[in-house]
Amino acid sequence: MAEDVNSREIYEFLKTRIGARFRTWLQICSHCGLCANTCHYYIANGNEPGMIPSYKVRHLLEILKRKGRVDRKYLETVYHTVYHECNMCRRCTLYCPFGIDIALMISLLRSMLFSQGIAPEGLVKAIENYKKFGNQMAVTEEDWVDTIEWCEEEMAEELLGLKIPIDKKGARIMYTVNAREPMFYPQDIMEVAKIFHVAGEDWTVPRKEGWDDTNLAMFCGDLKTARLIVENTFKRAEELEVEKIAITE
Amino acid sequence: MDFYSFLYTMAHGPLLWISFLTFILGSLLRIILYVNLSRKKDKITHQHFNLKYVLMSLFRWILPLNRTVAKNPIFTILGYIFHICLIVVPIWYVGHISLWEESRFGWTWASIPDEWADRMTLVFLAIALFFLLRRIFSRDIRKISTLSDYFLLVVTALPFMTGYFLSHATLDGVPFLGDYMELIHILSGEFMLILIPFTKLSHFVLFLFSRGATAIEFGRRGYTV
Repeated sequence: MAEDVNSREIYEFLKTRIGARFRTWLQICSHCGLCANTCHYYIANGNEPGMIPSYKVRHLLEILKRKGRVDRKYLETVYHTVYHECNMCRRCTLYCPFGIDIALMISLLRSMLFSQGIAPEGLVKAIENYKKFGNQMAVTEEDWVDTIEWCEEEMAEELLGLKIPIDKKGARIMYTVNAREPMFYPQDIMEVAKIFHVAGEDWTVPRKEGWDDTNLAMFCGDLKTARLIVENTFKRAEELEVEKIAITE
Repeated sequence: MDFYSFLYTMAHGPLLWISFLTFILGSLLRIILYVNLSRKKDKITHQHFNLKYVLMSLFRWILPLNRTVAKNPIFTILGYIFHICLIVVPIWYVGHISLWEESRFGWTWASIPDEWADRMTLVFLAIALFFLLRRIFSRDIRKISTLSDYFLLVVTALPFMTGYFLSHATLDGVPFLGDYMELIHILSGEFMLILIPFTKLSHFVLFLFSRGATAIEFGRRGYTV
């Protein structure tokens, strides 16, 4: 048993999070196979039996049965399943007679792996950025405001009087973006500004953290950071007393 | 008293009580445990509880009015027939009702014609056999099947098979089996009842909760329940 796996911690982590639904799902799944052809991983891999949703959650039952006593290699198998064989789309649940939520169980496994320091590198880096800068791309407040102002100037040449109001209190809509937009695709922000302007919409973007509407922490089950990200956005919306939050894409 | 008479007495008395009580109390306990735990750990179900979604979902899935029926019509329709026979035959078979009438309870209710019971039993057994073969020969289903899946399918089919043999005296010429068919039939039924609360067979009642919880979650998100 590898020393870098804390079996007790794994078991405790899962045990405290296993509610009545998880427990029931793990027991009553009748292995009928109706979820098989609902999964795009299953179909895209030539109807590969290993991709059947109900088969993928076997890890959860296995780890609970072994009371968390699994080794690093096993966790790597779990990692492969929960990140490379399921994107938690929940389509299988729509077709399951019992309504078993496979994606929720996969998500729990991702959380457990994260608690053991196992997560995709890109997501881990993004989480650090969220915690430090409030957005996944490590955009500083200064850069963000600069980018918005620059977008506004560029677009004002095309559409006279176009404004991208920052921190406008009492606006109807608070607009949030994907942090990749100020970083790589400022034209997306410009296009949206154009639409809002022509539509005569009363809108604004927040200056402080909360403007990034992506939540990559959620994907690796880091619910603490996931919560922080959402809270930032709601905090800004409350401060600005807006009616609605709009998100990009 | 020889061993057979002893078993016979047990099967008709104490074991019958034990199996029915295990089934009823065990199932009730499962419900209580579910609700208790869900109050503590599935707060989302209670915070967003919505009876409309729950009932809509149960209606769609107890009747064949859901999208899975359209996607896999053959398997699902067989599944529905399987379950209908499974519930109807043991409860409304005239032989069983007369036993209830003779019992201390003296209960009685309308029965289905013997012919129906016969046909439904055969249909049930044919579907059970199909399920078993599917588990063995389908690459997909074999992959997800566990030992208990095979075991419980046999356990569920056994009371029906022995019931048919018993009422038709099919194997009466066969030594042992012919003599003990009634005992085997009763014991197999009792065995199944006892296993229900402890195995996936508990889905007969927990299905309602699982379906309901997901309906609440999906309904408020605007997905199909």
